[in-house]
Amino acid sequence: MAQSRINPVKVKDIGKPAEVLSPVNLQELAPLPPPYDQDDPATLWKELTAERRAQVEASLDGVSALSLKRPESPEEEKKLLEGFVSGLKKLLSKENNWTFLQPLALSLEHCTHCQTCAEACPIFVGSGRNEVYRPSYRADVLRRLAARWGNGGNPLKSALTGSVDLNWSTVARLAELAHRCTLCRRCTQACPIGVDNGLISHELRKLFSQELGIAAQECHRSGSVQQLKVGSSTGMPPMVVKDNIEFIDEEMSQKVGFKIETPWDKAGADVLLIHNAGEILSWPENPGAFAVMLEMAGISWTLSSDIAGYDAVNYGLWYDDFQFARVALKHAEIAKKLGVKKIVIGECGHAHKALSVIADRIFSQEYNIPRESCLTLMEDIVMSGRLKLLPERNDFPVTLHDPCNMVRAMGIVMPQRRILHKIAPRFREMVPHGVENYCCGGGSGFAIMNPNNFASWKYLVAGRIKLKQILDAFQGELDPSIPKYLCAPCSNCKGQFRDLFRAYNVFERSNLLYGGLVELIVNAIADIPEGFLEWEFH
Amino acid sequence: MGLLHVWVYLTLAGFVLGCAYKAIKYATMPMHLRWELYPVAHEKGKAAYGGSYFEEVDWWTKPRESSRLGEIRVILEEVVTLKQVREHNPGLWLPSLLFHYGLYLLFALGAALLVGGMAVAVGFKPLVFLAGGKLMSIWGGMGLALATLGTSLLLLRRLGQAELRRSSSPADFVHLWLFLILFAVSWGSFLTFDRSYLQAGNFLAGLVKGEAISPGSAWFVAQVAILGLFLIYMPWSHMAHMFTKYFTWHSVRWEDLPNLPGTGIEKKARKLLMLPVSWAAPHIRGDGKKTWVDVAQEGGN
Repeated sequence: MAQSRINPVKVKDIGKPAEVLSPVNLQELAPLPPPYDQDDPATLWKELTAERRAQVEASLDGVSALSLKRPESPEEEKKLLEGFVSGLKKLLSKENNWTFLQPLALSLEHCTHCQTCAEACPIFVGSGRNEVYRPSYRADVLRRLAARWGNGGNPLKSALTGSVDLNWSTVARLAELAHRCTLCRRCTQACPIGVDNGLISHELRKLFSQELGIAAQECHRSGSVQQLKVGSSTGMPPMVVKDNIEFIDEEMSQKVGFKIETPWDKAGADVLLIHNAGEILSWPENPGAFAVMLEMAGISWTLSSDIAGYDAVNYGLWYDDFQFARVALKHAEIAKKLGVKKIVIGECGHAHKALSVIADRIFSQEYNIPRESCLTLMEDIVMSGRLKLLPERNDFPVTLHDPCNMVRAMGIVMPQRRILHKIAPRFREMVPHGVENYCCGGGSGFAIMNPNNFASWKYLVAGRIKLKQILDAFQGELDPSIPKYLCAPCSNCKGQFRDLFRAYNVFERSNLLYGGLVELIVNAIADIPEGFLEWEFH
Repeated sequence: MGLLHVWVYLTLAGFVLGCAYKAIKYATMPMHLRWELYPVAHEKGKAAYGGSYFEEVDWWTKPRESSRLGEIRVILEEVVTLKQVREHNPGLWLPSLLFHYGLYLLFALGAALLVGGMAVAVGFKPLVFLAGGKLMSIWGGMGLALATLGTSLLLLRRLGQAELRRSSSPADFVHLWLFLILFAVSWGSFLTFDRSYLQAGNFLAGLVKGEAISPGSAWFVAQVAILGLFLIYMPWSHMAHMFTKYFTWHSVRWEDLPNLPGTGIEKKARKLLMLPVSWAAPHIRGDGKKTWVDVAQEGGN
């Protein structure tokens, strides 16, 4: 086990007064491969100004993801602490938390602190082993609070578990700490007992959101609330999304040489395709490529223009069971209304898990429309021979990122690989890959969260091990004269790669482009002109 | 019946009841939303690389191939080789392996002595050899040696390695010290009084027959007393993972049963969706009357 080299904070210190409990140490960050090892991390680090520090809580590590305001009076603090304890009790109750009570109770009660999980965490390792990012750290704070303040808490149990002070610092730092974990659950995979510290981060976020109304505003106010109200977390109402898709169709028609027209609200279609709506705005070639592929493969499909029906995102997955259920039910209602045979989820990892796995047990019969990954549908199309493919059109080094939610959380491992082996002759794996992959560093909402100096933390810490892994996959070929492609079939992961690559100038320095899987498939279709894939970074 | 026998009866009963309580508690917790983690050991033909039925197009129309043997193989590999620790925490592997193998041997020794004691009690000669003798002496000596060495190494590591020390809970130290005290006393009994475990066998035979047997040694009494404390305490500590691991692995990590007709999931879910919620955040406003499904069907603004 590697030794932690920085400030050795203990679990009990969480509530102790300190301007910054365990700061990000730029000298201790995990090294990147050459030539990126020569970069000065200080150029990416954004220190909060004294003025901003006075406004928002950043005393955990000098970073603020939630922009929490300190209580202005002892009464306000008391009310918040009472709310926290009340939420903790609800988290441990059958009525309020039947959804995850069993896994939570098991994880709270059986950790032996062997630290087998620690080295599996890319954030802990990437940070240079900052103690507060240790997977067991935040879980232990919750264990101690639950032993003392939870339902049936007793003094003996509390003494054996250990204690922490219950004060504003503890609660605020814990809220921030719940946002220093991407919920990738790599730590859980390593645990010999089956303790799930990733789940504990998830449950902590729920406690804050469902009881205290504290959540990342990008996930809640601008995310799930906006999606339910306007139709999409991007802010696009139905009319705008239709206009945008029409524009994309025109672009695609020009590129492929025949008319592409996306079907809308087609009752009785075989497939209701739901994209992450972020694709439409940020990577329009992705929904465009889907339209081309599905039309050419003769699939009966449709998009929906109903509220939430054209946006597969479900940010509630990361922080709130009820927001999660509200969006999932919308998706199911729309599929039922259209009478489709199945919902196919576009290239979006968390939407895959949300609709296929987590929502599975809240759908009653009439709403339980089958849901399927686009990866399996694409494999079916590619392997069936319905499209004539020219793999030489993708004759450049390609590696594959495994989105945690599709792979570790759903076991969809091989379809994307079988496709790549067929259409990308220079495909190579990262190490490790498949269910042992590393998170992109943008999981659990981080990809869309950039408040205060959180973005610089993502670039330097959360995405560090992934960046290293990607660069390692192309060692010897990092020269910009060699075009390279990172295939990332997930919108949130792509958002993280866009920002990460921009921060490190990866495209300019190494000619490394990122993008989805469907674009590579369409790029290889013999019946459309060469050059579907435009080598432009955006 | 001696006082020590009463203590053993009580602590054994406490152990069994404690384990049963815990197992029933977890087994009767409400069905949770799916939260599986791959590899899922029962996925036939796919578990080796972590694949699932979601890899099939129209997966809900295809028969699911599930292998209970796959689960047993993974659990056995974990119990026998401590695979996860070996792969992810190699420095801890040998101490942990010694400790666990020591416990396995001692646990099996206790069970064997009990069977031997019963054999003596009912006069079933083929198994009387389990009530003590040379074999049991070697068996017990090995178990004690491995467990003592493993516990000592684990304790030294927890005390000596700064990051392990600071991330430990008080219970982690208490458990290891308790084990060491138990093993020290057991060595005392083994070396000075009952190297063949014949006395232990006699004691257990008396336990079965309900006859008072003189313990004969303070070491022996102390050993039984501390072991009893352990038995009572174990189900309430994280050491309960010896059986709760069934739930963490089988009921959570590998619980991938889809909500399809005939699985009974929908029926269970309907009941749970009707539970009242009292979460207080403004977008929920649970009043203890509104049900889970009521809240889920609200707008969420």
